[in-house]
Amino acid sequence: MSSQHEHTAAENHAHRQEGPRNHYISFALSIILTILAFAGVVYGGLDRGFVLAFIVILAIVQAVFQMVYWMHMKDRGHLYPIMFIVMGAVIAGIAVFTAVYWMWW
Amino acid sequence: MSNTHHAAAALPAEPERATLEGRNKILGFWLFLGAECVLFGTLFATFVALRNQVPEGPTASELFNLSTVALSTFILLTSSLTSVMATMAMHRHKVKPMLGWLVITVLLGLAFLGLEIYEFNEYVMEGHTFTSSAFATSFYTLVGFHGSHVAFGVLWITTLILQTLKKGLTVVTAPKFYVAGLYWHFIDVVWVFIFTVVYLMGKVG
Amino acid sequence: MAHAHKVKQYRGVMDWLTTVDHKKIGILYLAAAAFFFLVGGLEAVLIRVQLMYPEQNIFVGEAFNQLVTMHGTTMIFFAAMPAIFGFMNVAVPLQIGARDVAYPYVNALSFWLFLAGGVLMNTSWFLGGAPDAGWTAYAPLSTTAYSGFGMDFYVLGLQIAGIGTLIGAINFLVTIINMRAPGMTFMRMPLFTWTAFITSVLLLFAFPAFTVALVELMFDRIFSGNFFEASKGGNVVLWQHLFWIFGHPEVYVLILPAFGIISEVVSVFSRKRLFGYSSMVFATILIGFLSFMVWVHHMFTTGMGPVANSIFAVGTMAIAVPTGIKIFNWLFTLWGGSITFNTASLWGISFIPAFVVGGMTGVMLAAPPADFQYQDSYFVVAHFHYVIVGGVVLGLFSGVYYWWPKMFGRLLNETLGKLHFWTFFIGFNLTFFPQHFLGLMGMPRRVFTYLPGQGLEEGNFISTIGAGLMGIGMLFFLINIIITSVKPRTATNDPWDARTLEWAISSPAPEYNFKQTPLIRGLDAFWKEKTAGNKEMTPAEPLGPIHMPSSSIMPVVMSIGFFISGFGFMYKVYWVAILGLVGALLVMLWRSLYDDHGRHIEVEELQDEGVKA
Repeated sequence: MSSQHEHTAAENHAHRQEGPRNHYISFALSIILTILAFAGVVYGGLDRGFVLAFIVILAIVQAVFQMVYWMHMKDRGHLYPIMFIVMGAVIAGIAVFTAVYWMWW
Repeated sequence: MSNTHHAAAALPAEPERATLEGRNKILGFWLFLGAECVLFGTLFATFVALRNQVPEGPTASELFNLSTVALSTFILLTSSLTSVMATMAMHRHKVKPMLGWLVITVLLGLAFLGLEIYEFNEYVMEGHTFTSSAFATSFYTLVGFHGSHVAFGVLWITTLILQTLKKGLTVVTAPKFYVAGLYWHFIDVVWVFIFTVVYLMGKVG
Repeated sequence: MAHAHKVKQYRGVMDWLTTVDHKKIGILYLAAAAFFFLVGGLEAVLIRVQLMYPEQNIFVGEAFNQLVTMHGTTMIFFAAMPAIFGFMNVAVPLQIGARDVAYPYVNALSFWLFLAGGVLMNTSWFLGGAPDAGWTAYAPLSTTAYSGFGMDFYVLGLQIAGIGTLIGAINFLVTIINMRAPGMTFMRMPLFTWTAFITSVLLLFAFPAFTVALVELMFDRIFSGNFFEASKGGNVVLWQHLFWIFGHPEVYVLILPAFGIISEVVSVFSRKRLFGYSSMVFATILIGFLSFMVWVHHMFTTGMGPVANSIFAVGTMAIAVPTGIKIFNWLFTLWGGSITFNTASLWGISFIPAFVVGGMTGVMLAAPPADFQYQDSYFVVAHFHYVIVGGVVLGLFSGVYYWWPKMFGRLLNETLGKLHFWTFFIGFNLTFFPQHFLGLMGMPRRVFTYLPGQGLEEGNFISTIGAGLMGIGMLFFLINIIITSVKPRTATNDPWDARTLEWAISSPAPEYNFKQTPLIRGLDAFWKEKTAGNKEMTPAEPLGPIHMPSSSIMPVVMSIGFFISGFGFMYKVYWVAILGLVGALLVMLWRSLYDDHGRHIEVEELQDEGVKA
């Protein structure tokens, strides 16, 4: 129907050349981050607050990485997806903050 | 006008974005995932609020077995990789490899579900039932919601595989695969937070 | 490109059950909203009858609680929200120059799910008693320990309607982002479309929180969960947080589209462009953003400490700034305009002072020390009725009179319309203005009676008279609809000499909306063409066949599946619950397997219709 969002052939061509290498790297990184998180918990002796902060940060890094590469957020034309996912994450963060600050602590 | 009827002609490079319907579907699905962020965020909030509320029954650190969780995590991470391989195969218009990757994804999803059912069964035997404490209720609700998402994804991708055997890869079916891929990755991202917040933090206390 | 798909065309009732045309779905939404508005209104009148004199015994205790709960829930979820979705369906695609919404099928599904939820909840009246824990359903009041079977209807009815609302919001977001006509940039969109956009964003992010809250309450009630069971470690304040994280944005979901309607109406009937369009857009976005940051002001008295209370008090007061921007912009639009006082503009203009009253009491309530006094008194009742009736309802009625010709091709009767307006507006002020003082004198809300000799008699009596007057106003409205519906369709394309795109096409709009997609050359697109001497929009494409989606009964079937499932859960007959869900899943499967090819309206047909018009 409408043709306002049509991509040009050149862009599409560039996109097709993207190999699986990035995805293998993402996978390896995810595994490493996961192992680090498990290791941080299993091999104790570390300060509890530090471990909690450490694993939560690792989770956020891994989530962002997977979204950017595996869900193609780095590609062109993802302005609205990024906008809406960030907004959703912010509101989810507010809910979790509420629970941590007013109920769990 | 005739975008919906391109199927017979050569597929464009990004078949999922070739039609307005396809673009609408992808954008709408991203918005749905935005809503899912809040849905899981609120479930996490509930869990975090109640996770140490264990007046009776086993606590998190007594209960969880990290090696099962590590195995589940590895399975789901791998399935996320195989589903991105399927999307890449789709971009190259290679239907058979795409279906192959998707079949592996579905099998890994089923393995994950099997492990989860086994795990829940173990917990119930140890006295960690849905009604035993606020921690238990919020645990089963959060992890169960994720599990039912996996189950729905398995059913969904299976129906897509079956209909593609008949319809082939077209500008109508391509957006469905793309969107199902997004869904599967999203489930994996949620699991990253579940193994961190539920299991690892449960072990830390 | 002629594709001779044989597509069945339904007529009569089947046409309405299977329609995927956003204009018809809009009418369905508005009709359902009107029905639930009358039901909720009847409940309100019964509440006022009980409170007319002190120590009456008409609706006592539980019966009164049920009336209060159902009045609030019905009005917010099943009257105001569908009315808003109705206008979004009627106006948004036309205002952005689109042929259709992004997902016509989902649009129908969203309506039928809402209706299934609304009907399910109202069947509670006949099946052992309505919900009775207030529309806010605070735990533990809403758990099985303190409330009856009725709350199950609340939980499942709202859950089903909520799914419909969520997919409806996604539909409108995608429509507005992806389907604007060429030249229709974001900063050229009419303000109603802008508010519909921001409202949909709020729905998208607020409703999941409510979904989770309802799931938790459902699990506690039906499966003996412990989310709100303190003896097992549950936390009742959790419900309040989840409910208000959803509930506060929900309030703005209601008011923003009313702001949008007022912006259209004030501008059209002042014959001026909207003053400060960009600042209006900015204020709308800011209100939407702030709405997620202030929910704690509903919970000042739960003991979260002075720091939290102060932060949220300041945040709440900050909302007065963008709202004030809007009020002044409307006033400056009216200033120096040649104002027409017809029914639509009377509703629209009276919105401004009524809403200012509600806004002012809102700022009063935002101050925590004062809020400790106002909490749960009639002052709060007066406040939110001034924003919801004085804001949302006046705005919606303005929209009814304004868009009626575009929906039905007939103009509503002006005399009856003005009678409707004046009785309703005077009745509204009589009902709710005295309640400010009743509240300050200490009358608590949701209590079924009061004692004589405490100075509460006069205020309550006047309030009940006012409620009766509002009821009479609604009778004028119903008579008006009946009288109008038997008149011939004489409305012209543009009866108000209006500014936006929907008035450039015939009344009612043809099913394909625009024969040729229009080219948008500025804000107030149609007005711009009119000032350039054109009678129609400049087309952006040659005349060609138009693709239309097929009608489908499946949205109704799927909604019935959820409806049955709801009853299965409530009566704990789980095979029925699962059967209903499986039915709904099968409809999804069917939809996935069988592609909808739709049909084409050919050029010859389009030209024929042109001759007829």
